[in-house]
Amino acid sequence: MFKLFKHSSIFPGREKTRSGRAGKCLPILLLAALPLGLLASSHREAPLISNDPLADNTDLYMFRSPDNPGMITIIANYIPAELPWGGPNYYTFGENVRYEIHIDNNVETAGDDIIYRATFQQVNEDPTTFFNIRLGQQNRKTTYTLEKSTDGGSTFTAIIVGGMVPPNHIGDRSIQSPVGLNTNYRTLLENSIMTASSGERVYCGPADDPFFVDLGGIFDLGNAPRESGPSRDGLARYNVHTIAIQVPISMLQKDGKDVGMASDILDPDFVIGAWASASRPAIRTLSSSGTSYSGEWVQVSRLGMPLTNEVIIPIGMKDYWNSRSPYAEDTAYFNSFYNPELALYMDDDLFGAAVPAFSPLRIQRNSLGAFDFGNGQDGLFGLKGSPEVAGTALDDALFGNLLLPGPGKPRSVDLWPIFHTGVPNVRPYQLATGKNGDPLAAGKPFVNNFLPNGGDMLRLNMAVPPTDRDDPAFSSLGLINAAVLGLTDPAYTSSADLQWIPNMDGFPNGRRLEDDVTRIELQAVAGVVLAAIGLWYDDYDPSDPLATVLTDDLLNVLSYTTGVEENDREFRIRFPYVQMPWPGDF
Amino acid sequence: MKTLQRLKNLAQVAVLITLPSLSALASSHREAPMIADDPLADNTDVYAFRIPDDPNSIMLIANYVPFQLPHGGPNYYTFGENIRYEIRIDNNLDTPGDDIIYRFTFSIIDEDPTTFFNIRLGLQNRKTSYTLEKSTDGGSTFAAVITNGTVPPYNVGERSITSPIGLGTDYATLMASAITTASSGETVFCGPTDDPFFVDLGGIFDLGNAPRMRGVPRDGLACKNVHTIAIKVPIAMLQKDGKDPSMAVDILDSDFVIGVWASASRRAIRTLQTDGSIAETGEWIQVSRLGMPLTNEVVIPIGTKDYWNSLTPYNEDPDYFSSFYNPELALYMDDDLFGPAVPAFSPLRVQRNSLGAFDFGNGQDGLFGLKGSSDVAGTALDDALFGNLLLPGPGQPRSVDLWPIFHTGVPNVRPYQLATGKGGDPLAAGKPFVNNFLPNGGDMLRLNMAVPPTDRDDPAFSTLGLIQAAVLGLTDPLYTSTTDLQWIPNMDGFPNGRRLEDDVTRIELQAVAGVVLAAIGLWYDDYDPSDPMASVLTDDLFNVLGYTTGIEENDAPFNDIFPFVAMPWSGTGKCSGEIAGNLANCGEPNALLASSITENSAVLSWSDEGVNNYQIRYRNTSSGGPVTTTLSSGNNVTISDLDPCSTYEFLIKIKCPRTGVFTSATSTFTTSGCLRTADSDDQLSMDFFPNPAINSLSVSYTMVNSDQMRVRIHDLTGRIMLETLTNPSVDGSGTMSLDLSSLPSGQYYLQLIQNDQQLVRQFAVMK
Repeated sequence: MFKLFKHSSIFPGREKTRSGRAGKCLPILLLAALPLGLLASSHREAPLISNDPLADNTDLYMFRSPDNPGMITIIANYIPAELPWGGPNYYTFGENVRYEIHIDNNVETAGDDIIYRATFQQVNEDPTTFFNIRLGQQNRKTTYTLEKSTDGGSTFTAIIVGGMVPPNHIGDRSIQSPVGLNTNYRTLLENSIMTASSGERVYCGPADDPFFVDLGGIFDLGNAPRESGPSRDGLARYNVHTIAIQVPISMLQKDGKDVGMASDILDPDFVIGAWASASRPAIRTLSSSGTSYSGEWVQVSRLGMPLTNEVIIPIGMKDYWNSRSPYAEDTAYFNSFYNPELALYMDDDLFGAAVPAFSPLRIQRNSLGAFDFGNGQDGLFGLKGSPEVAGTALDDALFGNLLLPGPGKPRSVDLWPIFHTGVPNVRPYQLATGKNGDPLAAGKPFVNNFLPNGGDMLRLNMAVPPTDRDDPAFSSLGLINAAVLGLTDPAYTSSADLQWIPNMDGFPNGRRLEDDVTRIELQAVAGVVLAAIGLWYDDYDPSDPLATVLTDDLLNVLSYTTGVEENDREFRIRFPYVQMPWPGDF
Repeated sequence: MKTLQRLKNLAQVAVLITLPSLSALASSHREAPMIADDPLADNTDVYAFRIPDDPNSIMLIANYVPFQLPHGGPNYYTFGENIRYEIRIDNNLDTPGDDIIYRFTFSIIDEDPTTFFNIRLGLQNRKTSYTLEKSTDGGSTFAAVITNGTVPPYNVGERSITSPIGLGTDYATLMASAITTASSGETVFCGPTDDPFFVDLGGIFDLGNAPRMRGVPRDGLACKNVHTIAIKVPIAMLQKDGKDPSMAVDILDSDFVIGVWASASRRAIRTLQTDGSIAETGEWIQVSRLGMPLTNEVVIPIGTKDYWNSLTPYNEDPDYFSSFYNPELALYMDDDLFGPAVPAFSPLRVQRNSLGAFDFGNGQDGLFGLKGSSDVAGTALDDALFGNLLLPGPGQPRSVDLWPIFHTGVPNVRPYQLATGKGGDPLAAGKPFVNNFLPNGGDMLRLNMAVPPTDRDDPAFSTLGLIQAAVLGLTDPLYTSTTDLQWIPNMDGFPNGRRLEDDVTRIELQAVAGVVLAAIGLWYDDYDPSDPMASVLTDDLFNVLGYTTGIEENDAPFNDIFPFVAMPWSGTGKCSGEIAGNLANCGEPNALLASSITENSAVLSWSDEGVNNYQIRYRNTSSGGPVTTTLSSGNNVTISDLDPCSTYEFLIKIKCPRTGVFTSATSTFTTSGCLRTADSDDQLSMDFFPNPAINSLSVSYTMVNSDQMRVRIHDLTGRIMLETLTNPSVDGSGTMSLDLSSLPSGQYYLQLIQNDQQLVRQFAVMK
């Protein structure tokens, strides 16, 4: 068991026994003082970046590729809500922007361990026309350089030079006809898949936006699913620009191990965290002769966990949040995770009545007759320092104040770690299966993506085998679905042993293109992770020996849906997995 | 004579001051590379029109921030801080530069910084207000005429706007209460609205595919919002001497011409701060401008679009001129150039041999051969009047029409009068129809405020604007009996100003195709001036007039009261995304195409959907069962062993790999080998009787083959009055009878369309 806690030395409680590493824990605690976010993918999510679409990072995905299980695919998307017919200057990656994907794989090294940096250049092949494509020539034709750093950003090496970005999918005449490029879009896309000198496969170019969400409903004061009229996918039929990189697991694992060398499917040495960003030079100078850029590079957008900055961070802090890194989170955000705004609308004593669409989502106010997770309540804080939590993740001797920082911060035990440290395979973070009613007892393992090195990142345990997309058990509910199976399916409930359960490779253990993160995060705000580990909903009576834990409240939360559960186009079965961009003449 | 002398003086000033660029097709959404990346400062459209219900006032509208999703939360769109949004007016040739400038600046506050919602419990984040300043001294000094003007919130949705936990009001009230009267008297609205522009962006920018050769035209701006600045100004405040229109000498009084343009400027230096904020300092630099619609969208080529945005009408760069003298679009309207490459433009053909004498093809001389001749003495082409302005040199054929339309306005001087009464000489005096000549600066929207407005519910109201006025002036007995100046409906339409309804894309494409030349008597090539029986209303002219992009009106009706633009689409209404669960799975195949068709084979292709397996099924529609084949990769297949001269139906089917759902699409083609294999216009024919018709029209025709044919009747504005589909017999011929009982008396076009071939003829209905 403690094998999984080899990095616990970073916490003050382990200083005595691992004094040599004591210096490392303080940075973590300081750095990990991060905000915990909840509903978020990030299109136009903060005021300033919404005015700079080229640098607006919309989504980040990271999953083990089912057709190629030795590889991890990382996808970062930029430029929200591109109209397929957005001519005459169709969208493309910006010059003077650094698009970066950052990976942390080692809690013992500060900051990023691997950084991919893409920069783009544009040329006009025929500056005499206003058309984008004419007679085989393309304007705003875009190429890229991909650089890689493995020393935390001190040095970079170019691994792709002159990488091809395919043109936009303007329409049949521009792409297929002899007066256009006289080809077809699939050929253009596949010809743009590059292999880096260091071995990664890379695609940079337009794609169907894989995210799906009822933006109009949700941001109309939480009207999802819509109370009247059908729910609508606000991103259907829009494109984004994708940076997709497929990397061998052994290149991401800190010791160069491939997945066959994992001790088990939750081996903590196989956890990585990823985040993406966009930076611009600090100074832009307009003049009548054009625009110039100078100065230091300043980060203007970032994204790790979906929807953090969209629905957790309040308006007043969104721009500031975008400027930080996971290693420099500001504790000022923490309360947005300890007491998330969304939870106000899932609590009948607060504003629950004001958001009827969320009525199936009700937070535990009296779990097991003892614990209140309503905003401003104490949650599990009353257990702090007690013998009950000895040896659990809530034990100060293990993780210090990380998970129980104080009273009145009820979600410090679930939302906060999900977004900021990942979840360890340590009591109480095991399924209730086998716990015999004591949430603090050992249960059935289901997740370990604990990497408490920095804050908001998408964390993935690469040792977890992928779920085939055509497996009948495949679910867009991701890890929530794995938990449900682990709690209810006889194939898994007969033992508390570690077993592979379908969708253990799903969000929030990484993020697959199919994962319905909006629904999952809303369910998580409603306390579904607490329920999974045995902190059942209020309508479960622990004193009744005949009571089932699968109460109406739990079923309400599990069956809650925003009404938009899948992308408007099926994904491709091969790299880069995102679907081809919608054509402009559709 | 006094007028001519005055024009002469004006022209000399114009030559010195202006030399602007002439452009041809343009509204301006994401039109230049850099401004496309700065949506807040992206000026999309400018309108200027006289108001039918308030004829002593002019509406000026400038729109910004293109392509707004009604559901674009959580940070819904608004005007930008640190931007100067300006509407500029020139009313006087004797004063250089702008005579009136309206400058709007905006500020934004968060009323409740603790929520991620835009509106909650009566409080609004990103709440925007504005200051309006006005300058009447060319920008030297400004006086604030509105402070703390209200910008309504975005139309987020019913819960945010209407419900008690939102603002507890309704959107119409928010919009109405945001209308403000300036201390100087103007009525002002700034806020989100439906984008009033309409255009098939996807078609046009796919190499000129408008109307689309396949599929349905789509308004690329339907269901999108913009941010509007609307000002209603008394005419007396805009007229240089303070006159109201009753004091005009006539409805084309030169003293009532104004030019309007809009711009957005930002500070030169933007510095990103490490805390996520932005500091903006330095001089103000213009980053976007717009006068005439579509100039920078489809006239100025990619290499100079950003530069064009940085200039003003008063310092246009002559380097642009050739884009107007020889516009790129004209390349696609000329069979000797790239005409065949853009089949959608096939009804649009530039005069290459007008009156047997004048060639307006790109690179040709147009009217330049007349320069200095006695024929042009006293006309606008006379060097003694306007210098080199309109005939600057050889090889610049459109210097006489497109260039002045975009850069000086058109004077009421020979030859710029309708052919009515000219007796066949385009240089003779004709019937006046426009005077918006203000040769003070380049690209501006020019409006003669003395022209009375056309009621929007007048049956004669037309989205073809001044083109329609010209058509009426040339054909309607009400106007053809005299060359006297008369008010003709739609003389108040684009390019004499611009009304919200005007279909400027169509008008400008028709203008590039030479329709203005035709209106003044430089008829199309198929008019034979030596034939005394010939009608000037030739097929070529009808083809141009009947041309339409397929998108002729806005997707939302305009308001009949200020600010006239429609309310913004709601973030939870029909424009807030695709209905969930009603979506394509892996995408049904589209763009089905049969090519390389012979007597017994064809290549079938379709859009690639990124799946591995396609099933292809085809059958002869008149005999035999289907043949099925499969394809593991690629998106085209050759089929053979076909029967000659037979119509085949084919179906492309996909099984989506994950959902297992099948989707498919079908199309048809006809193999060659029929008696008629011709595919040229020459072999197509159409006859009909009676003409004029009363309640029915008998039509006989010969088209290319038996493919389905579309039959349309348009009115003179191009509006489709009747549409039906029919299948010719196997040799392409057929007859039909059309029911005209629903059509009122008037002139109409009959259009037959088969694949990319079409025939158009005019006929009359008399009841």
